[in-house]
Amino acid sequence: MRKKSLKKTMRDLWLSQWFILLLIIIAISAVTAAVNPSFLRFTNLLAVLNQVASLMLVAIGATIMIASGHFDISVGAVVGLSVCVMAKLVLGGVSDILVFLAGVLTAVLCCVLNGALSIALKSPSFIITMATTSVYSGIGLLLTKGVIQTITGKFRFFSGVKLFGTIPVMLVIALGGYIAAFLMMKHTQTGRQIYAIGANPNAAYLAGINVNRSKIKFFAIDGLLVGIAAAMYLSRLGSALPSYGSGMEMDAMGAVVIGGTPISGGKGSIIGTLFGVLLIGLISNALNMLHVDAYFQDIASGLLIIVALAISALRQVLAAAQQRRNAGE
Amino acid sequence: MDAEKLLQLEGINKEFNGIQVLFDVGLTLYSGEVLCLVGENGAGKSTLIKILSGAETPNSGTIELFGRKYYKGIRLWQAIAAGVATIYQDADLVDTLTVADNVFLGEELKRRGLIDRTKQERITQELIDDLGLRLSADSLVEDLSPGQKQCVQIVKAIKRDARLLIMDEPTSSLGREETEALMKLVRRLADEGRGIIYISHFMEEVFRIGDRALVLKDGHCVSTRILSDTEQEQLVIDMVGRAASSFYSRKEIAKGEGLLEIQNYSGGGLVKDVSFTVRQGEIFGLGGLVGAGRSELMRLVFGCDRKDSGRLVLNGHEITPSSPSEAVRKGICMIFENRKEESMFSIRPVRENITVTSNEKRKLLNLAKEEQIVMEQVEKLHIKIFDSSQEAGKLSGGNQQKMVLSRWLVEEGEIYIFDEPAKGVDVGAKEEIYKQILRLAEAGKYIIVVSSVLPELISLSDRIGVMRGGRLTSIIDRADATEDKLLKEFIGI
Repeated sequence: MRKKSLKKTMRDLWLSQWFILLLIIIAISAVTAAVNPSFLRFTNLLAVLNQVASLMLVAIGATIMIASGHFDISVGAVVGLSVCVMAKLVLGGVSDILVFLAGVLTAVLCCVLNGALSIALKSPSFIITMATTSVYSGIGLLLTKGVIQTITGKFRFFSGVKLFGTIPVMLVIALGGYIAAFLMMKHTQTGRQIYAIGANPNAAYLAGINVNRSKIKFFAIDGLLVGIAAAMYLSRLGSALPSYGSGMEMDAMGAVVIGGTPISGGKGSIIGTLFGVLLIGLISNALNMLHVDAYFQDIASGLLIIVALAISALRQVLAAAQQRRNAGE
Repeated sequence: MDAEKLLQLEGINKEFNGIQVLFDVGLTLYSGEVLCLVGENGAGKSTLIKILSGAETPNSGTIELFGRKYYKGIRLWQAIAAGVATIYQDADLVDTLTVADNVFLGEELKRRGLIDRTKQERITQELIDDLGLRLSADSLVEDLSPGQKQCVQIVKAIKRDARLLIMDEPTSSLGREETEALMKLVRRLADEGRGIIYISHFMEEVFRIGDRALVLKDGHCVSTRILSDTEQEQLVIDMVGRAASSFYSRKEIAKGEGLLEIQNYSGGGLVKDVSFTVRQGEIFGLGGLVGAGRSELMRLVFGCDRKDSGRLVLNGHEITPSSPSEAVRKGICMIFENRKEESMFSIRPVRENITVTSNEKRKLLNLAKEEQIVMEQVEKLHIKIFDSSQEAGKLSGGNQQKMVLSRWLVEEGEIYIFDEPAKGVDVGAKEEIYKQILRLAEAGKYIIVVSSVLPELISLSDRIGVMRGGRLTSIIDRADATEDKLLKEFIGI
């Protein structure tokens, strides 16, 4: 009896995207370490994680958006605007905590505006956020006149403070975000609303969910995560430009897809996204370690998404086969 | 002109998800003839014409079309190539193209690689004039009336030399004059040697236009009648007369003191000033033809569509909701007609489908308690699942409907609205659903059941309100309700 349940657990494991991603991560690490042993050095691994800490939070937001049937492609621009606002305030001598709150507020407002526009104009969020991307970047440029805002040595909380003297606090925050998001998706009303609205917004409305209010809530959560990500980004880089976040939205959505979340909505895996981000960060570092030409890195990250989709497709075939077996039993 | 046999169907059987909807259906159509297909909603008319036009394949039976036999059903393109044209209720046209473009869609005339618009328009206009229609070949389809759109479809069919036209309730959205013109056109098309299969709910039309009528009931061929020798009365009897076993026998339930008032509901461009009352513990049935405004009325009451007027009053207190979430808070529950589009989260687990509404009351979920509630419902309604995490879309129709019903049973509402509660479910699930409706009545709830199935309406309801053209035209007591009488009320004869 117990043996059988173990077999079933193993089968479920093989069918989960994150487990396959974990195997790929181990395989890539093994190959890279064999060629270049310094890859496995603690400081290198820590650097990899440090680099993707902001992306980790943005990718949680993207998972929530996609699972609820939305896209926010303006988050890159929102990160850019938010870091500029914060840098300006830092240079103006405002205290770190207020700077942080202002940065988060900026991001939340931007994202909520995306959601509100999408509802009011009855337009897909993809289109709305395509438009607001330029708006937010433009505001960032107006604010900074396009000049880089350097804040060397200031606003160091996220990157400067280290737990046990080694682990940067931003890494802890990013992982905390995953735990919180995982619990939210599974154990809260909001999580269920995300899935229900993503699966069938009309049925959700008729089942008594206040769909518009929920949508605004999802965008606000997205904004909160993006705002914290922006603060961490500024703290790590020590300077700000409106273009700083550009491309982040694509990386985040890439991580979501690699993590096995379908873009059709109604489903979404937080753990999958975590491994998706880790894989993206790892590949780029591994290619550096292997002295692969930088141009190949872009090709590699594109291929990664295609491979992930192939795995997802294969998993669906396997799952269907398993269902047939179950039905036969 | 000698009548030629255009079409012969023999022994057509069809089942969906284990529910048989057509039993050994056969029909013959000769050239120059209008054959009317009549029967109640759900009798199998639509399925039959889908099989004919190639949109569905039958499980068994043969189709002989223009002398050629097709054993495993006919393909869509085969039917079109052979000369079958189906003219749908919602005109199947591209709104943003002109009449001529639509007529030539997919078979464009080309000159030096480009579409020859002038020639297309000339030919189309000739066809239009030939049929005696008032229509311009270069006007945009989106500017046309529903009747004109039907005509465009007919022109398209004629252009393809279609010899067999299937028309599915072509007049249901037409005004009097347009109907008149269409009837003339149909007669003329038949007189020119084509065969027409004409589906309609309107007896008057059937008798005016049809040569013969085939009556379908619960998927069986009941009779084929030559209309010139048939009384309207007889055809109605054929349509409704059925075995007593399809009735559900319910017990009497004592009515309570409470009173629900539906006051002056209007809206959606269809529902006009509808008022009625429902007593506590009463089941109020709402009948009428498809398109009479029953579902639209109930959607207004539930608050999901914007209304022009209307108040909902329970025991003297106004509880008119303005949104479904408000309706739920005020104890109103509604089971919708289109399960897949309006009720189900097909890719989500059964568990979430059942508790989606009740979870709106708490921010944090208690998963253990939720599982317990779900399993209670699963047992109570005999929903067949492996476990509560099974995807809802993978269940059979009956189990899906029971799952949706249980969502509202955990809700403890006061008012329950059922729109076609047993649509597309098997006999067993149907019984279970009826039982639950009666249990709710016994518990002193206020119940409204919209149904197009006459036995269901008669056997469940205490009183039956009849809607026609958006108005409540009469209320009939259960004791006086017969299928014959109801159908006449529905049609308005």
